[in-house]
Amino acid sequence: MSHVSYAMILAGGLGSRLCLLSEKRAKPAVPFGGKYRIIDFTLSNCVNSGIFDIGILTQYRPLSLRDHIGIGRAWDLDRKRGGVELLQPFQGWAESDWYRGTADAIWQNWDRVVERKAEHLLVLSGDHVYRMDYRPMIEAHLQRGADATVAITEVALDQASQFGVVRTDAAGWITGFLEKPKNPPAGKISMGVYIFRTAALREEMELDAMRATSHDFGKNIVPSLVQRGRVLAFPAYGYWQDIGTLDSYYRANLDLLSPEPPFPLQDLRWPIFTPSTEYPPARLGTRAHVRSSIVTHGTIVNGTVERSVLFPGVVVEEGAVVRDSIVMGESWIGPRAELDRCILDKRVHVGRGARIGVGEALRPNRGCPEHLSAGITIVGKASRVPGGLVIGRNVRVAPDLVEEDFPREAVEAGEVLEREGESAHAGSAS
Amino acid sequence: MNSPILVLVLAGGKSERLHALGRVRTSSALPFGGKYRVIDFTLSNCAHSGLFRVGILTQYAPLSLQHHIGIGKPWDLDRRDGGVRLLPPYVRQRETNWYRGTADALIQNRNVIEDAQARHILVLSGDLIYKMDYGRLVERHETAGAALTIVTTAVPESEPERYGYVATDGDGRVISLEEKPALPSGETISAGIYLFRSRNLQAWLEKPGLGPDLVRDVVQPMILNGDRVVAYELADYWRDVGTIDAYYEANMELLRPVPTLTLHDPDWLIYTPSEDRAPAVITGEGDVSGSLVAHGTHVEGTVRRSILFPGVHVAPGALVEDSIVMHDARILSGARLSRAIVDKGVRIGERAVVGTGDAIPNREFPRDLASGLCVIGKGSEIPAGGSIGRNTLVEIGVREVDLAAGAAPSGVVVRAKGVVR
Repeated sequence: MSHVSYAMILAGGLGSRLCLLSEKRAKPAVPFGGKYRIIDFTLSNCVNSGIFDIGILTQYRPLSLRDHIGIGRAWDLDRKRGGVELLQPFQGWAESDWYRGTADAIWQNWDRVVERKAEHLLVLSGDHVYRMDYRPMIEAHLQRGADATVAITEVALDQASQFGVVRTDAAGWITGFLEKPKNPPAGKISMGVYIFRTAALREEMELDAMRATSHDFGKNIVPSLVQRGRVLAFPAYGYWQDIGTLDSYYRANLDLLSPEPPFPLQDLRWPIFTPSTEYPPARLGTRAHVRSSIVTHGTIVNGTVERSVLFPGVVVEEGAVVRDSIVMGESWIGPRAELDRCILDKRVHVGRGARIGVGEALRPNRGCPEHLSAGITIVGKASRVPGGLVIGRNVRVAPDLVEEDFPREAVEAGEVLEREGESAHAGSAS
Repeated sequence: MNSPILVLVLAGGKSERLHALGRVRTSSALPFGGKYRVIDFTLSNCAHSGLFRVGILTQYAPLSLQHHIGIGKPWDLDRRDGGVRLLPPYVRQRETNWYRGTADALIQNRNVIEDAQARHILVLSGDLIYKMDYGRLVERHETAGAALTIVTTAVPESEPERYGYVATDGDGRVISLEEKPALPSGETISAGIYLFRSRNLQAWLEKPGLGPDLVRDVVQPMILNGDRVVAYELADYWRDVGTIDAYYEANMELLRPVPTLTLHDPDWLIYTPSEDRAPAVITGEGDVSGSLVAHGTHVEGTVRRSILFPGVHVAPGALVEDSIVMHDARILSGARLSRAIVDKGVRIGERAVVGTGDAIPNREFPRDLASGLCVIGKGSEIPAGGSIGRNTLVEIGVREVDLAAGAAPSGVVVRAKGVVR
């Protein structure tokens, strides 16, 4: 029996690099893979690893996440002992404030750890898509008597600079930890999965709280622990994808469609749990052509769908073509409309004959050039694209636009469409 | 406040005419429409009608049903007041009996009816498919001051002799209800939905020596006795799926371009316990049209005009046409299915052909298997290269050894050796 039974999941951050998708919801609540939210993977890993006592730290736009988690029933986390608890910042009699960083979020909820008399603490991130049994890692952590254990994986050297890069010695102890280095020395990176000996973490937290740092696990706590204590690396070789950018989000979704998916969602021994919707089975009409795609309950397809992911309740009308796209819940693709390399948020309405994702990716998006340059066009929640309109690549369409908000002529590559004089940050989440 | 209506759902029957499909489970628990069980329609009607005091009378093969209902969560029937209760027969100090019929089931649950102190008792069948707002029925029943309201519907085209015919006078009062007449006459039949004023029903159930059948021994005598029995017409879709043909047709109707029964109406969704299955995957070689596809399916072959339940795998080069394929069945590569009903967990081997040859009626059950369908019973395995004819019944748990040379011609019944029928 392991001594690690409490997990805290960091789910509070603003995912600015996910562009529109996380504008109205926390990143862990972003829809993924046809019926999931990103946090489902971490939560399912927990319960499949026998961990049923979980605190989720939320701060940025938590409503969508809160609705999704509910009382935790989908994960069997509606329990008398343990279960799941959402820990948002609150005002109290002691020093309390907005969370200043991931470490501060846990520090402000340290009572939770103390109450449990937890000797060790599992700290996870809510915005990774991966499948991992935490038990072997827990075993290694306990056996080697580590102050902390960090799960590591390997990525291509050119991508390593987005992560915490790890250097280890022959015995597997971490000798160096660099968060997002400019010139990474190697491709071994932290997966954001940590086990801490509670006493060691507490000491580190106390020190950190007094310093003017970012109060961040990757930037401050772990590097400092590496200096002062014994931090073990635990190599985990399964599929792991950080959903940090729009590109990685798009790629991770499309990974599910490859002939040999790196991540078998269908594996009944390691189910990914999520609250289910009440829709009927997918209905593929007599003129439907669906290939290399994921379809979910409540979808109705009468057109052509290739290499795409359709979320519940999506309707693809006759003659419409959806190619290399991700279409979220309850969106409607009108007759003869065409989508190519698009991400549509929920309840988008694409009018008859409209074409989105047309032409060359001539220039990156004006608004967020660093995140929208690979040719993907993204349409925000509940916007209504007028019939017949042509929209180029790398375009960002704000949420909640109505037909009148769109220009009459074709929208060129790299444009940003939003209602004049209105902040894109208004509105409610779901 | 207690709801004035107690709902009792009859879900204990065995449908002989469904053969292998109806032997492993009571007909109310029959899988339907890609993710549902037949009883989901009745229970969802209750939920949408605001009726939350429901008793389900079970007897035949109830485990599948019991597991399905659980605490009634999908229908919002997990309640402090009311909710769902399963009512199986039980051993008593005196006289212990299985339910000998529908009326007997009610008699044996007289205490449930009394304790409910309901104004009306709505008696439903768990094995019918329809959508209905019972609230309006109750309203009509009350304004008519009826002792009993019988819901009626138009007689289906096939096998009109299976139903009970209702005759009314000009004011909608029922004059007669004739069960399964040799020569059916009239257009209006009983839809198997009975709303009793509680005190009238109780009075009848208390009569000494009452027979066991609800229609013959309660409803018909009430009419003869001059009790106020009125008819209420259900004009919409209504299907009894008690035969293989009716079950198949009702499923296939869902695939029509404009289905007679829509499952997509957001105001009247059909609720069922959800399974934790991944979304459906259709691969590059896969091709699906005119079909319903549930979560957990993996399609690498071709599927036309068919219904795939959760977890079905159609391997590359396999062809499934006009078929119903239930949970976790595997159709291996190159296999072909035509007009087949494949029960849960069946394995169709490589290049096996199911539903081929002449449609000569089944030798043992010519009435039930004559339209060219074939049925593969739960958990059976058809070997690679095997061939199964039309109107053929492959019983539950059949293995390669039970099939001479892997083949069964049209019109035969294949049984597993050493398995008691």
